[in-house]
Amino acid sequence: MHTPQTLAEVAVYFPEELDEALAALADESRRGQLLAGGTDLMVQWEAGVRPLPAQVISIKHLSELCGIADKGAVLHIGAAVTHRQLRESGLVRQYLPSLAAAAATVGGYQIQAMGTIGGSLANASPAGDLAPSLLVAEARIVVANQQRERSIPATTFWQGYRTVDCAPDELIVRVECPKLKPGYVEGWRKLGPRKAQAISKVMGSFRGAYDGAVIREFHVAIGSVAPTCIRLTELESWLVGQPLTAATFQEAERRARDTVQPIDDVRSTAAYRRWVTGRMIRGFLETWPR
Amino acid sequence: MQTIKRSWTINGTHYEVETAPLRRLLDVLREDLRLTGTKEGCGEGECGACTVMVDGEPVLACLLAAGQVPDGAQLTTVEGLEHTPGGRVLQEAYAELGAAQCGFCIPGMIVSSYALLQRGGTVDAAAIREAHAGNICRCTGYKKIVAAIELAAERWPTAGTGK
Ligand code: FES
Ligand code: FES
Repeated sequence: MHTPQTLAEVAVYFPEELDEALAALADESRRGQLLAGGTDLMVQWEAGVRPLPAQVISIKHLSELCGIADKGAVLHIGAAVTHRQLRESGLVRQYLPSLAAAAATVGGYQIQAMGTIGGSLANASPAGDLAPSLLVAEARIVVANQQRERSIPATTFWQGYRTVDCAPDELIVRVECPKLKPGYVEGWRKLGPRKAQAISKVMGSFRGAYDGAVIREFHVAIGSVAPTCIRLTELESWLVGQPLTAATFQEAERRARDTVQPIDDVRSTAAYRRWVTGRMIRGFLETWPR
Repeated sequence: MQTIKRSWTINGTHYEVETAPLRRLLDVLREDLRLTGTKEGCGEGECGACTVMVDGEPVLACLLAAGQVPDGAQLTTVEGLEHTPGGRVLQEAYAELGAAQCGFCIPGMIVSSYALLQRGGTVDAAAIREAHAGNICRCTGYKKIVAAIELAAERWPTAGTGK
């Protein structure tokens, strides 16, 4: 197939229904790079850091991928839901407050109005701001091909640096995210060079329950400290049964700092990221709403 | 080469556009339609100079593929603002308070301002800063821009005349 040199040479297919998009993906000769809000791909194509595809399938407008639905204990979030919709949705703000807060820190208003949750997950940046909230909520990512849907736990969806568990004939259709249960709280923190538009140096979320004496459950996920966003499972198990006291805060900070193995890159150093991870965990515990 | 056809209303005027689907909306506006008010600062989604409204939402024309702007979409660029009561109020407030220096950021900045004031709701300094967080200005230090938007909010034409 001929390799395009400019954006103008790339052929784009605009399916009218999800089935048409899946049919195109099923056929190797019609398969193409999926394009939703374009806030990652357009930048990478224009900057020449990602080769131009011969063919693109534009899916942002597909109605099957839009909307947020309340399914009892779980919210179903369509893959084409924008960051703006996430932060403004009453359902998301009430039941997934960490996700709403994370969406509000992605880019500026314009980027939020364009970028989608499905695009953010598929792009799989270690600094993807929505991942920590989905990991602590134990969300499932639902992908579909022409034959069937497949539901993947968020904990195994991101397989490595910028690789996800989604085959070439599949696309992400929605995220199914368990609501915050009564008695549980969530928190979100992002550290970047400035508030808007910035790629995170370190960011994270927690979800947990405290029974008045000790921590009953604790999930925490941190991004930008490993090839994918990660749950700190050893720290989580240690924290269960601990009281919210100064000694716990200090020990949790130390353990968090020692567990993560970040890298030095243009945005920050490994040592700084380790330190911030510790402080972030301490901050979550110290400011735990109780 | 593939082309697609779209009919858009831009600043109240009807346009028939035929272009390659992945061309940037920014290039279609500036090169094909000669609407050169919208600027390219960075071309990579960082500066907001290319901000335009598509169906009421401010978006970045440098990252938006023209084909993804649907048929029948309503677009507003800086050129359209001075023909609206709200846009004129903003223009005057920016000018009165000296909120523009080199002016390069202003076409995008003022579209973000217009979108914010059109949305309604509380318009305090924090809301203004948040709504313009995607617009970079290298000259003013933002203080006068924020003040101008606060002034425009006070003078904002009431319901029904904002068009
Ligand atoms: S030119 Fe579009 S954001 Fe800078
Ligand atoms: S006035 Fe010069 S960049 Fe804003």
